[in-house]
Amino acid sequence: MINIYDVIVVGAGHAGYEASLAASRMGAKTALVTIERDAIGRMSCNPSIGGMAKSHIVCELDALGGEIARNTDYTGIQFRTLNTKKGPAVQAHRAQCDKSFFLERIQAVIACVENLDIIEALVSEIWIKNGTIRGVKTEDGEEILGKTLVIATGTFLRGLIHIGEKSFSGGRVDEKAAKKLSHSFLNLGFNLGRLKTGTPPRLHRDSIDFDRMVDQPGLNPPPFFSRSAKKDWEMFHVEQKLTPLKPWPPGSNQISCYLTHTTEKTHEIIEKNLKKSAMYAGKIEGIGVRYCPSIEDKIVKFRDKETHHVFVEPEGRDLVEIYPNGTSNSLPKDVQHEMIHSIPGLEHAEFLKPGYAIEYDYVDPTQLHHSLETKKIENLFLAGQINGTTGYEEAAGQGFVAGVNAVLKLRGEDPFSLNRTESYIGVLLDDLVTKGTDEPYRMFTSRAEHRLILRQDNARFRLVDYAKRIGIIKREEINDVENKIIQISEEVNRLKSIFCDGISEEKRLRRPGTFYKNLLNKKEGLNSEVITQVEINIKYQGYIDRERKNIIKAQKIEGQHIPNSINYDEIKGLRFEAREKLKKICPDNLGQASRISGVNPVDVSILSVWIKRIDSK
Amino acid sequence: MYKQDDTIAAIVTASGEAGVSIVRISGPQAFFIADTVFKCKPPCPSKRPAHTFVYGHVMNDDQVIDEAILLVMKSPQSFTKEDVVEIQCHGGNMCAKLILRYILESGARLAEPGEFTKRAFLNGRIDLLQAEAVLDIIHAKSERASAAALEQLEGNLSAEFDILYEDLLRVSADIEATLDFTEQDLPKGIMKNLNKRLLSIRENLDQLISTWEEGHLLRDGAIIVISGKPNVGKSTLLNTLLGRQRAIVSSMPGTTRDTIEENLVIGGIPLRLVDTAGLRDSSCEIEKEGIDRTRAYIQKADMHIYMIDASKPIDHEIETHLKKMENEESLIVINKTDLCNKLDTNKLDNKLSIQMSLKKCQGLDELRSCILERLRKGGTLSSRPHAVISERHRNLLMESKKELDEAINMMNKDQEDLTAFVSSRLRSSIENIGLVTGKEYEDELLENIFSRFCIGK
Repeated sequence: MINIYDVIVVGAGHAGYEASLAASRMGAKTALVTIERDAIGRMSCNPSIGGMAKSHIVCELDALGGEIARNTDYTGIQFRTLNTKKGPAVQAHRAQCDKSFFLERIQAVIACVENLDIIEALVSEIWIKNGTIRGVKTEDGEEILGKTLVIATGTFLRGLIHIGEKSFSGGRVDEKAAKKLSHSFLNLGFNLGRLKTGTPPRLHRDSIDFDRMVDQPGLNPPPFFSRSAKKDWEMFHVEQKLTPLKPWPPGSNQISCYLTHTTEKTHEIIEKNLKKSAMYAGKIEGIGVRYCPSIEDKIVKFRDKETHHVFVEPEGRDLVEIYPNGTSNSLPKDVQHEMIHSIPGLEHAEFLKPGYAIEYDYVDPTQLHHSLETKKIENLFLAGQINGTTGYEEAAGQGFVAGVNAVLKLRGEDPFSLNRTESYIGVLLDDLVTKGTDEPYRMFTSRAEHRLILRQDNARFRLVDYAKRIGIIKREEINDVENKIIQISEEVNRLKSIFCDGISEEKRLRRPGTFYKNLLNKKEGLNSEVITQVEINIKYQGYIDRERKNIIKAQKIEGQHIPNSINYDEIKGLRFEAREKLKKICPDNLGQASRISGVNPVDVSILSVWIKRIDSK
Repeated sequence: MYKQDDTIAAIVTASGEAGVSIVRISGPQAFFIADTVFKCKPPCPSKRPAHTFVYGHVMNDDQVIDEAILLVMKSPQSFTKEDVVEIQCHGGNMCAKLILRYILESGARLAEPGEFTKRAFLNGRIDLLQAEAVLDIIHAKSERASAAALEQLEGNLSAEFDILYEDLLRVSADIEATLDFTEQDLPKGIMKNLNKRLLSIRENLDQLISTWEEGHLLRDGAIIVISGKPNVGKSTLLNTLLGRQRAIVSSMPGTTRDTIEENLVIGGIPLRLVDTAGLRDSSCEIEKEGIDRTRAYIQKADMHIYMIDASKPIDHEIETHLKKMENEESLIVINKTDLCNKLDTNKLDNKLSIQMSLKKCQGLDELRSCILERLRKGGTLSSRPHAVISERHRNLLMESKKELDEAINMMNKDQEDLTAFVSSRLRSSIENIGLVTGKEYEDELLENIFSRFCIGK
């Protein structure tokens, strides 16, 4: 019998493992195709997960049934919370992971899942016959048959690595690039663009003088992303069985990261050698990331800044590799050495790998639906850096959505698509497919216009209905969430009804500096997650209510569906630019239409009248 | 039925000279707003039966804006199928605009071009054939509107909006940067003085809003009232300047009993010339009323032309009039110099005066240049030529200010955990200004952050 997979996932980075796990856990027969089995879940850059806005995505994935949150928590070696003072909406967790245990654990997870095969191959072609996906062809001439396809190849599409004046082909350093697959996309009529990213050198731990740097310890108790690690932490006193899935009690024995800085000399060295940098020698055509600039960029663009931070971060508990965060560059090796040695504490640093810049092809994401299925080819889904994003978290979010949707497509169900009013993943998807991107897209809290509601603390509560529909999260977990939702609203109402010295406990809790634990009439034994929600809901009620009103307003226009059959050429009065953009993006609803650059409010108004006209026919 | 949840309002009569103007309010809040702005004998408008009308006053607190008639139309029996109130007020631009502004302040939103018709269509009031026409109307109007907006935005006004936008964006970028990046990445003291900066921006915003008042010259023209004793030739002056016989002239004192308004342009400046009933003590009721109106007009005029008959001596009545004019922007026209000149100019207290003979068409050019010079000197024209003149802009600015005030209030609480909320308000504030200048908040914001701060790994 011929083996036909329900879902083939190509690429096993963060998008790839989330896609294949989601699909197989939903019961689909899934293949994960990767060039190298051992590289599944590899963290090609810094082994850190979370940070501003990204941690929101991780928490949302944990709420929906993704793996990245657990994998981070169970292999994390340093946990922190950023922005603790600036209000709950922008608080973010960040964890430094052990990169070898991260990879080992995810591989162990995959090994435990039924229906999930790993195939080692270099995919060269998307195989289409009579307009239908048949599967993929590999470099070795093999054919893998499948009904749906998720391509998550990261930076591997025509990857080109630059170190100083040298350039060579590669997906990551020492790994093969996928050259032919790019052509396959072009042949199918996709628009490709080119982007650039980079990574700093790796240094040997024992050659670094940590005494000359500022110690940055982790937090205790550790701020976890996942529900599961939080539960484990609560049972800290209970002896826990250690397995590849739990290499150590999560959050235990954290190790520090360190902070140092560039010097005047560093800047001199870079200025002097700027011409030798691949970036500045004009060798790189791809557009780089503004917020994650190479050190050359930082020094050229911000000449008045005398020093820049360098975070010295271990890549693992027992690994010798150290990641000097902030020194990403594409200078020749000898200049990199000189430059690194001018940084306090790194004077004698020994190099394990040089830093490099990498250019790669990406597919213009406006060619996708919100489900991440391509508009051109049915059953073909794209996820991760191939869509022009950057970051493990952004990739994982897309991978999960693509994996789930591949399965729903096979079942003939409506796609799972998150709205930007309810999640960061929704913001990510909508931005990509509506606006496209011409630089590596990274999430910021400011991209989410409703961020006051889209917090990491309430991810489980706001996404529970989706989690139910997808069905990966266990029933008991769902029940737990639903019970807590009731408890939260009951407790809020109770506090409103209890008066003490003439004012209600609810009002008292609103006072700055007053917390639930300070209340005279607090309810003993209330779960901490419930308490957090009660506190936030009461303290920020006015602001949150206003935001909810905005969301309701926004949802009205989002709810106005644009039929697929619409012919924009027929609509009188649309301006030329708006017509062309609408034809290209094919927005699902009026809200999305209004966010397309080049479509103005009058165009949207004309469109809305036209839709009503069609509806009333 | 298709439900729209906000209430819209606009002047629905064409602008220009007309006896009556109509302001229409449509939407769920129409009656609530009508009850707020319109005072009449009980019951109040919302309690009145559909398809009735009532006489009353549009009142802002104790101040009468205009007397008017209010028409009650209840959903679904109205043009838009929503609750609709129409207020018929006195013609001319001023009354209707003041009423509309008050209505907008009371909770309505300014209707977009063609929006009443659009709602009528969406609610099934008009059929598909008509809908085609609506599309054309919406489009045509918006194009005209945007052309007009562009004109306004050229030059200084646009620059002022830009400055405001940029200033606000810089503050917002500072705050957003502290939300999206760690403090280690950012310059020290980035959050300092934010409140001061916001207050100074609000001052600029206030100033820009206040130019709307000044901008009325460009919208409506400078009002010039002609007054004087009966039979000095006021109507003749009006007719001569207009170049046609607009007012009836006769040698009988008191021929003009009501005010006559006409538009004309002198030296590129739109003017509204008002001929009035002569000022005299009269026993005739109608004439008395006319004279009262004259006095009221003089008070709100940008300039007052007081006419004197050269052939008659300055009597006590004229002296009283001249005294009253001390604090006014005025010009004295001494007419009938072709007759014998009995005027003692010393009695004019050095007030600017021109001698002319309308009968012989002497002194007209001098009068024209005098009017212009006078308007300029008086500051009426030197007021910023880039005043906010569109109602839409004014509303966006008001909305922007409201949000900014909220942001400042929150900042004053000095609670760091409110930062994200402050930034949310600022965003709304900026977006309102962006609607004028057509800028996208998010793109501009990130650009601003990345160009100013060295951020990232």
